[in-house]
Amino acid sequence: MDHFPTNWGRPRAEGFDAYATHPIHQRPSNTPRDAFSAGVQRTQQPIVTGTSVLALKYKDGIMMAADNLASYGSLARFKDVHRLQAVGTNTIVGAGGDMSDFQYIQRMLDELVIDEFTAQDGHSLGPAEIHEYLSQVMYARRSKMNPLWNSLLVGGFTDGKKFLAYVDLLGTTYSATTLATGYGSMIAQPLLRKAVEGREDVLTEEEARKIIQECMRVLYYRDARSLDKYQVATVTAEGVKISDSLYLETSWSFAEGIRGYGAQTQ
Amino acid sequence: MTQQPQQHAFNPYTENGGTILAIAGADFTVIAGDTRQSEGYSIQTRYAPKVFKLTDKAVLAVNGFAADGNMFVKKVKQRLEWYRHAHAKDMPIRSIARLIQTMLYARRFFPYYVYNILGGIEEDGTGAVYSFDPVGSYEREACRAAGAAQALVQPFLDNQIYFKNQTPAPGTVFPQHLPLSTVLEIVIDSFTGATERHIEVGDGLEMYVVLSKNSNALQGLRADAHSFQEVTSTADGERVFVIRRDLKKD
Amino acid sequence: MFLTRSEYDRGVNTFSPEGRLFQVEYAIEAIKLGSTTVGIKTPEGVVLGVEKRVQSPLLESSSIEKIMEIDRHLGCAMSGLTADARTMIDHARVTAQNHAFTYDENIKVESVTQAVCDLALRFGESVHDEEAMMSRPFGVALLIAGIDEKGPQLYHTDPSGTFIRYEAKAIGSGSEAAQGELQDKWHKQMTLKEAHILTLRVLKQVMEEKLDQHNVQLAQVTPGSGFEILDEARLKAIIEEM
Repeated sequence: MDHFPTNWGRPRAEGFDAYATHPIHQRPSNTPRDAFSAGVQRTQQPIVTGTSVLALKYKDGIMMAADNLASYGSLARFKDVHRLQAVGTNTIVGAGGDMSDFQYIQRMLDELVIDEFTAQDGHSLGPAEIHEYLSQVMYARRSKMNPLWNSLLVGGFTDGKKFLAYVDLLGTTYSATTLATGYGSMIAQPLLRKAVEGREDVLTEEEARKIIQECMRVLYYRDARSLDKYQVATVTAEGVKISDSLYLETSWSFAEGIRGYGAQTQ
Repeated sequence: MTQQPQQHAFNPYTENGGTILAIAGADFTVIAGDTRQSEGYSIQTRYAPKVFKLTDKAVLAVNGFAADGNMFVKKVKQRLEWYRHAHAKDMPIRSIARLIQTMLYARRFFPYYVYNILGGIEEDGTGAVYSFDPVGSYEREACRAAGAAQALVQPFLDNQIYFKNQTPAPGTVFPQHLPLSTVLEIVIDSFTGATERHIEVGDGLEMYVVLSKNSNALQGLRADAHSFQEVTSTADGERVFVIRRDLKKD
Repeated sequence: MFLTRSEYDRGVNTFSPEGRLFQVEYAIEAIKLGSTTVGIKTPEGVVLGVEKRVQSPLLESSSIEKIMEIDRHLGCAMSGLTADARTMIDHARVTAQNHAFTYDENIKVESVTQAVCDLALRFGESVHDEEAMMSRPFGVALLIAGIDEKGPQLYHTDPSGTFIRYEAKAIGSGSEAAQGELQDKWHKQMTLKEAHILTLRVLKQVMEEKLDQHNVQLAQVTPGSGFEILDEARLKAIIEEM
């Protein structure tokens, strides 16, 4: 007899291990296995990748930025990729890492928002809910040893409260007044902290834009997988706004004087 | 069913730094942790709690891989709620300790990469500390440190709590249990010391104090010594407080 | 008794238009055919007593088992189709062990009773692919005695999966007379010894044969010794004291 009430009334499965003698991911599976199952591939490494995403809290809400580049190794492969995505009415998700995995996440989030909308039950998904959902998905996938190879920032604004949090391919989460993924966590994050920490309730949108632009510029100078074409999004009481692509002004004249960089003959 | 061989470039684990500790008194327990979360040389956030109130007599500190830690705490809390519904009482700390063992050991072959320290009040009213390894070995102790700075903090506690490598003054004996004020000082010193010498420790300190029914441990404290915030949720008699302090951010 | 059979007798999970489940009600009737079983709670512990019907002089009365241990702190007496109780007690034992393994504490009397009752309603046809555990309701009622942090407790369970706590309870063929006697004689500050004697007196009243150490069985759950079935020597001593 099965002494575990939680198993009662469940479909009987010959391979089902009622006493949990196997580790969870090694339990016999009843899903159909055919000639194609051997062809199932798991993401072992990212292929087409996006680089840093930056975000900060300011007076009216949160601001997020990411460039429009998707690289194929060192090749700047796609130069008009949108890595900031609005989810529902007051959330923005920004992604670094594998772009095909991000597109899968976008499809998943679209479906989630539609399901929630069609329910018409008075609930709506805010940034905290979207972030929790993404965290559970990312952690579940890493636990199956089949991760979604991304670092994601989730920002939003609900009931007068700012929300900004991170989740990545391991399911690691955290929240802070300024966040940056990938290369940006090393190069832009210290600049963001210096400019924002302790001032997140007084910083104006104009000041925030300047800080973000400066960080994107530094990243473009230092990150070889970055682009001078980028977008900035805000989430405030007015909702989500994602800008058209912007261009960074840069000056490379200093490079002339650097040996091995400019047009020296030797 | 044929399992095709696979090589995995993917490592499902990381370490997120930080340190936790717990010290049991005669009728109280202090459970503490810093609030920095890091990966390598990067500070991810200055405030990510590692210490969680489970019931009015049990507080759990979790250290190691943060994603596993958060999921583990979530699952423990879920089990505590199910237990409350099934048995109409809060789970005693001794039972929580055993439950944590079974939950950790259930994942023996894909472990939660976390070190747990459970602190609180036993059914007999005494302060209790239970410490665990990632696959569920556990024991009850008087004090324990774990995490990035365990190697720095545990010898300090051995010296200050168990009086290891000390000899009592002639005609005196070392006390069995220390008063709350002394324990809090030792906890604060442990973390300021670890912050000074370990890059993964710092930013903030959260100390949970769990008091037994009718405990007078608070009376020995100077009124202005610490800013206590009470977080007790039932009228059963045990009380829980948090003390938050800054640690150096560099 | 139930001479008017109807189509609602057929399916074990079919309600009659009056809102009754006949098969469950018949199962409860089956208990009234069983031997009388008595339980008494006292501040010192709980006493269980059963009548063993020795129908033949060739029958080995010691082989009749109507009181069983669930755990060290839990005991159980039955009346009705006692074979059905095996499944229930087996489940109760596993549940108690499982609880001790996972939580390092004794399971509460109410919790183990609840677990047994969860099982009681798992009869009926199976839905597609689902496991059918039993074809009919249990034909047995239990008196579950035990001690936990709430002190000594006595529970009664029946085939409908209902459980109720009692100070003293009688079930089985002589239950009506026995319950009346318990109501007269039971008092709050009863000692364990008084409970032993009351149990035997109640059984004696409803038994056809002359009561002796072979045709009754007595058990108790106490804080000191947990569950124990009294051996014939102790039983004899108590019978002589009656």
